[in-house]
Amino acid sequence: MSRQRSMETILASEFVSIGELVRLTESRYSTLKFYTEEGMLSFEQAEENLTRKFKRQTTVARILLIKELKSNGLSIPQIKETLEMDK
Amino acid sequence: MPDLTLTQQFTMIALNAQRSLEMTNAKKVALRCMAVAVILEVYLDSGFTQDKNKLVLKKDVLNHSHSIRYRETILQPLGHTIGDLSGWLKQASLLSKRKLIEFEHAISDTLKEMSLLEEIPHILGCDLYFHSAGVEIKGYRSHIQEYTIITEHIRAEILEDGTVTDETICMLWLLRESGCMHDFFSRNELEQVSARMYRLHQANPLGKALYRIRIHRGIELAIKQFLRMKKVAVKTPVGSGLNFLFPILERSQSVFIDTEAMFSNSTKRLHDVRMRLESMGHAVKVLGDGTIPIIKIDNTVYEAIPYATYGRVPIHGVRLLPIHPS
Repeated sequence: MSRQRSMETILASEFVSIGELVRLTESRYSTLKFYTEEGMLSFEQAEENLTRKFKRQTTVARILLIKELKSNGLSIPQIKETLEMDK
Repeated sequence: MPDLTLTQQFTMIALNAQRSLEMTNAKKVALRCMAVAVILEVYLDSGFTQDKNKLVLKKDVLNHSHSIRYRETILQPLGHTIGDLSGWLKQASLLSKRKLIEFEHAISDTLKEMSLLEEIPHILGCDLYFHSAGVEIKGYRSHIQEYTIITEHIRAEILEDGTVTDETICMLWLLRESGCMHDFFSRNELEQVSARMYRLHQANPLGKALYRIRIHRGIELAIKQFLRMKKVAVKTPVGSGLNFLFPILERSQSVFIDTEAMFSNSTKRLHDVRMRLESMGHAVKVLGDGTIPIIKIDNTVYEAIPYATYGRVPIHGVRLLPIHPS
């Protein structure tokens, strides 16, 4: 049995899944998938077909930064550039 | 953000945009599946013991169910021993209309207390004929942010590689049985979901036990699916749906909002529509403008297609057609 983790457990975890990131950042799955595929969010994956794991604190901070940059009117290439400089 | 139970999460999906005062066919389908979600919730919380091939409800679950009223309304009429999981689910889905209404009130009250569900004038009340006749129709609206989180979380888990939680396995089955799959997954995604469900049926013990069970009533679901099918039966350059030709068939899927000016431009037209909807308590967000704007009303995305009805005088306005998946 694999149960859904409570918010308290998620907030205490080092790694989270993309589904949990949806809950934490109130973002759409397709948006996060796009960011992941564009290399804007880094993840760890033990093997292919296994869950992609994201570092909770850094990933959430990055998603919030992307949201802020988007609301400031930056395009995706510009956001990617900013994130590269931020590394 | 609160941690919601399986039943609460499914209720937020199932009751959203349903009429709150009348028992429509779509609501009956939703309530049956919500009742079944209670059994699955208790099952996941280890509320049953296995006795040979029967599941027996633990006494303490029944005794303590009064503290969770929506559970009590389903568990009390069912008793302790019914049969295997399939038997329990089928019995819960066969509860009388009176019991289902009692359950609806119990679960909706819980969500209303948490400010996750509210009753607002139904979108159908914005239709020219209902609005001008002063007919008041009430409907449920789930908390917009929480609704998005629940549905997007299900999508993320099933469309991504890796572990699928028991809650999502149950949710997918509930969506399948309530005929709601098309509301959340595109045609391409549905193929992925179907393949994933097949793999879960093969390899996951819960998937194996659950996915072979069917509780839906053919006739009820057929009516619901027919009303949806006719929407895609006709495609015109300005929109799709048999509703264009026979809007009377299902008005809830095809709302006509009249605009004040006879030949409004698209901006003015959209403004009028927005005013009407907002005056009726709906949350409106314009996702795309142009000749046919895309607007999100509460939790559903619509195309606002310019339209006119002809009686003694032509009445101009827009027809709202829902887009799935939203």
